[in-house]
Amino acid sequence: MNLYVIFFKDNTNFYGGDYKNPKWLEIPDKPIKSISYLTPLGRWIQLRDYDKYYHFIEVAMDLNGKKKGQKILEYSYLIAKKDNIYKVHKVSLQTGKIEIQHLKEEDKFIKQLNPIGWR
Amino acid sequence: MATVMNFRVNYVDADHDYNNYNSDYITVDLNNDYLIWSDSLADLLTHEPTAEDLNAAATVIDDVLPITVAKCLLMDYSHDVGGSYYTHLVKGMGENKRYVFGFCFDGATATIPRLEAWDDDTHTTTAKHVLGNGTPANSFVKAVKTTSSLPGAGWAGIAIAGSTYLELDDAVLTIAKDLYANVKIIIPADYATPAAETFVLTARYTYL
Repeated sequence: MNLYVIFFKDNTNFYGGDYKNPKWLEIPDKPIKSISYLTPLGRWIQLRDYDKYYHFIEVAMDLNGKKKGQKILEYSYLIAKKDNIYKVHKVSLQTGKIEIQHLKEEDKFIKQLNPIGWR
Repeated sequence: MATVMNFRVNYVDADHDYNNYNSDYITVDLNNDYLIWSDSLADLLTHEPTAEDLNAAATVIDDVLPITVAKCLLMDYSHDVGGSYYTHLVKGMGENKRYVFGFCFDGATATIPRLEAWDDDTHTTTAKHVLGNGTPANSFVKAVKTTSSLPGAGWAGIAIAGSTYLELDDAVLTIAKDLYANVKIIIPADYATPAAETFVLTARYTYL
């Protein structure tokens, strides 16, 4: 199952990868109409008519302890921007819980994001 | 492909970076190797240290002055570096040295990679004494970013525990890059709770 599907305004689609290789940077640079995003518990998030979108995976790797060396995929983040508001979906990949925050452009979290990831 | 991180320790010369002196580093096999913080455990042991070895070399709490744990050693399970040795002293730990612990990324990240410390692999609590007994500012574990410069003589670093963490660079990674940090453990003077505590050091990073 693909992690997400991008529907472009030119009526073409892009199918995303998975948590290990989401292929976000492979999305073609053209206007997006909507995104359908699959969460760990099987629920789909659908986002439509935003200005731009961002997605990344957060990994914790213990340097010691019982799970040392394991890449623990802890969260995925799906962000959608409209005007000056960024709607941030923080999805726990361990529990499936989804936290939603609305941040402004001045927020440190938004400002620090790698600009290559906006689509 | 997703960005991958390798954790490396310098066991030769902490003035040498990985890019130019990669043979100065051991790439830590995180499934089998581990770090040992000790007062006097020997470098270049020809066996895996036993509990007796570790206890005999433990740091003794000072009743007057804070004490810095003197050594960090890599327990190299494969014991195949420079001979058949299980322990290698991590060079420059706690000193004014830049290239000690290396976090080597092979691609871009969405956010700035960071180093964290937790009670265990659930990454939820910091109740252990070594992590400040619930008060992150009191954590014994001090860390400093050395990616772009020396930490300075007598560096204080950040007391890391839980959500108080060390960012390993000044900005997100746009390309592959090696990041560095120095880490030390300082036990407060006359600390009332001697213990052999384990804690988890965690590298947290992101990929697109």
